[in-house]
Amino acid sequence: MADNDLITIPGLWNFQYNYFAGATASRFFNALRHEARIYGTQCAKCGRVLVPARSFCDACFVETQGWIHTGPGGVLEIFTIVATQFPGLPPPPFVIGYVTLDGADTAILNRVEGVDLGDIDVAAKKLMARVRVTAKFSDERQGRITDFVFVPQSPP
Amino acid sequence: MSRAVAIAGVGQTKYLRRHAELSGAELVRQAVLRALRDADIDLDAIGLIVGGVAPDALAGVNHIDLSSIVRPGTPYFRVNTGGATGSSALLAATSWLRAGRCDAALVVALERMGHATTSQKVFNSIFDPIYEKDISLSTISMVAMRATMLMQEQGFTVDHWAGLAAKNSKSAQLNDTLDRPRLFTAADVLASPILAWPIHALEACPMSEGACVAVLMAQPLVGKRKVAWIQGAAGLTDTYAMGDRMRRPQGSLVDLHTLIRSAEKAYSQAGITRPAEQIDCVEIQAPFASAEAMAYLALRLCEARSGPRFADTLIAGTARVAVNPSGGPQAANPVSATALIRIAECALQVRGMAGLRQQDGIRRAVATGQGGATQFSTCVVLGSERP
Repeated sequence: MADNDLITIPGLWNFQYNYFAGATASRFFNALRHEARIYGTQCAKCGRVLVPARSFCDACFVETQGWIHTGPGGVLEIFTIVATQFPGLPPPPFVIGYVTLDGADTAILNRVEGVDLGDIDVAAKKLMARVRVTAKFSDERQGRITDFVFVPQSPP
Repeated sequence: MSRAVAIAGVGQTKYLRRHAELSGAELVRQAVLRALRDADIDLDAIGLIVGGVAPDALAGVNHIDLSSIVRPGTPYFRVNTGGATGSSALLAATSWLRAGRCDAALVVALERMGHATTSQKVFNSIFDPIYEKDISLSTISMVAMRATMLMQEQGFTVDHWAGLAAKNSKSAQLNDTLDRPRLFTAADVLASPILAWPIHALEACPMSEGACVAVLMAQPLVGKRKVAWIQGAAGLTDTYAMGDRMRRPQGSLVDLHTLIRSAEKAYSQAGITRPAEQIDCVEIQAPFASAEAMAYLALRLCEARSGPRFADTLIAGTARVAVNPSGGPQAANPVSATALIRIAECALQVRGMAGLRQQDGIRRAVATGQGGATQFSTCVVLGSERP
């Protein structure tokens, strides 16, 4: 090796964590798991139904109240079709998007499945129409946001 | 009445995919020395250093900002607002100077992301670990989703994204902080692979490392120096959850409420009432074409519903205002530094020192900062006239 060769030193961050979901999100996840339902909470001041459930409204900074069953239908507000493999992220292609569920005032993020991704541009054009979707729950639920995905109500 | 503050000097390293020959502290030192020389001031006269360094995990060094202390014995603090870090750091230093806590300050922004081999996985970790991180959200997919809303609501097309990317790549050719910047056409963009629809590979900013430093001075110290006066400066925040911002009474996610209000405040301080006529140059903190387009209306560079037409004039080169004459973040986007680079570029334009990329007759320039999942917006107005 020459004296002026540039050295790089390999590194790895692989810290382990346990994220505390808190009481409100825990109740939301338990309802996903046991009831296959998506609940929101309502702001006592502005009346917005927040989905996923939060203990307080960020806009009014007051506690929410009530558990309100939302969906399972809703509108796909925005989306993207991930078409390239990024190191450390899932294999493409897949669709993610924000959905405003029926009865909710905010949108929730999740995967969108059941869309033919053979031609990305064609699939995207169909999803641009703010299509109606429905939450589809998996059979073996674990109390995680990944317990459900969205699927188009009629094949787009 | 608080004191007037100016940018008296800027220093920039080259912005490269990786700086394998320089450590973080060496990058900082190079930019600091250039900025001090430009401002004609000695390091001993600096009374405050603000470090602007965004997520540590991109560098893989916890508290990477410790490389930007520059001078032990001088007051120092760090600011981190994601992509708006550099401009937020400048706002903090400006407050110190206006309040008379010192007469000269350094704003130091360092990006070391070339270390990261899984940058989009690092970016995934900025999102809420309870409700969102598991959906493999990244900064690219976040921007892509906002782009679909701009297309639905304002009528932008994939051709706009490609045309704006090509426009910026052409401007970048004259920017001497870049090393052989990419040059491509709109057709090249559309022919490049789709990363996350509607974003094609050539529309995405490259990985970029480097340091940018600004020397700020309060009026008594400025003397006969050729400076860019800070005529207006404001920054605002928004809530974490993007889904909560989708459709609110004050506007949709892509109306960019934080930038609208930041610009209103900064324009008001600067006495700007007709932005499209009174602003000569704009540097928008936009790593993607859609992020640039999202700012046009918020900055009132165009009328409501005319964003796509305004983009057409930029692509055709017929717009009155120069937008990202440096090539903007699509040419180089060192995350921690990128919003300070926008301000530095505006300062160079106002001072007539932008070299080959200098635009004619720039009396007033506006720089934006945009960070997090669009939680943070800043707007800074620089001008040749003292406020």
